Amino acid sequence: MTAPRTISGVTLWQSFALVPTCIVVGSADVGLFAVQLIAAIATAIGWEALFALARHRGFSLHGLTTALIIVVLFPPDLAIWELVLILSLGVTLGELVFGGRGFGFVQPATVAAALLLFSFPQSALTPPSQAVALATLPGAAILIGLQLISWRIIFGAFAGLAVCIALTGQAIDAVSVGAAMAFSLVFLICDPFAAAATNPGRWIYGVLAGSLIALFADGAVPTTQAMVFAAMLASLTAPLIDHLVVLVHARLRRLRHV
Amino acid sequence: MGSNLRHLTNPLIANNPITLQILGICSALAVTTSLTTALVMSGALTFVLCLSSAVISLIRHHIPPVIRLIVQITIIASLVIVIDGFLKAYAFDVSLQISIFVGLIVTNCLVLGRAEAFAMHNPVGPSVLDALGNGLGYTLILTIVGSIRELLGAGTLLGYTILRSPAEGGWFQPLGLMQLAPSAFFIIGLLVWAIRARWTGQVTAPKYRLKYRRVQR
Repeated sequence: MTAPRTISGVTLWQSFALVPTCIVVGSADVGLFAVQLIAAIATAIGWEALFALARHRGFSLHGLTTALIIVVLFPPDLAIWELVLILSLGVTLGELVFGGRGFGFVQPATVAAALLLFSFPQSALTPPSQAVALATLPGAAILIGLQLISWRIIFGAFAGLAVCIALTGQAIDAVSVGAAMAFSLVFLICDPFAAAATNPGRWIYGVLAGSLIALFADGAVPTTQAMVFAAMLASLTAPLIDHLVVLVHARLRRLRHV
Repeated sequence: MGSNLRHLTNPLIANNPITLQILGICSALAVTTSLTTALVMSGALTFVLCLSSAVISLIRHHIPPVIRLIVQITIIASLVIVIDGFLKAYAFDVSLQISIFVGLIVTNCLVLGRAEAFAMHNPVGPSVLDALGNGLGYTLILTIVGSIRELLGAGTLLGYTILRSPAEGGWFQPLGLMQLAPSAFFIIGLLVWAIRARWTGQVTAPKYRLKYRRVQR
């Protein structure tokens, strides 16, 4: 299978991959989840439509993916006006000011989650559970199969985290660490536009993200907060990592063909 | 006199020191957590800016070019000490919060920038008008940023409660983000964006552009 080359293709497959997780999270309280989901989709797509009109550009439904990630991450008891405000800031500052999907360098859902943690310090993100992690797996398999996300980043992240935890001398509980990381790793850190795009860069990016998770984790099992901040910082460095990889590659090539 | 008035009105939006020249940003970030501190800081800066421009313009023919920066900073620093002492005497509570930033007006690029770029080459009248205009431009931006940050970050304006928090029987949950320095960056960034969307002449040409090229198959 080859990767779909259009923005709408990426949107479609990423949203599709998110559906099982949303069903698992939403089954806890269907009514509350539905209200949050509708508010999130309306906000994200509304801003996108507004920017498309103002800039006389085509309109993609990419807000759908952002909204689906957000309703999984955000606490279910968050007030609707808080959700709309934070998501508006996340979508505009994280994506639309740069010109839309694919032009920025951070995942808007990561930005929104980080802004939520800064703005309302008393609210906690959804704690990771094994059910959510299991529901992430089919989506992750599809996205890896389509080459939309890279297995190198996933292995790099686990390696970086394992080394950092081993250095502190703690025992690694592989199952609960994996469950805690699964969703944020697949949809925030591995995001096709926020992650590094060269193969060596993906390893470096993954190891960096894993080390950052270990740094922010409070104890041996990382929290969702730790995942969000690690994703944020790692994706800020992704363009630099790619740039350096390309420089090294060009230097090596020149040396080979003098 | 009519032509001199443009020195006063120009720096308000068209040549605003913060949103166009991007000067004086550090104090704009630091003192805008509440409207009161933003207004006091703006007043202090405008005072120092006007008087320093007047004095420097008066003696501009007698300042040796080699040591002109030292002379300018000495004059500015003297005025800053005066205004800092004044605030300590008459607005002690506010001065506890912003005293360090008032002291840093000495190194504010805006004050030195106007002295070096304008007051050194122009008579007293236009220099004072230019300084006042720049001070008011700075005040305008700080007032906007301070109002937004205090209203959304604490639900108050000038210390009076506007939006009540759940603990006081209202619905408004203050945004902790607004009390942190990055929020001032965001608000100033959005202001710059809004101003440049309206006055497109301020837009800087992009360094790189996307090229649309037909792909050969």
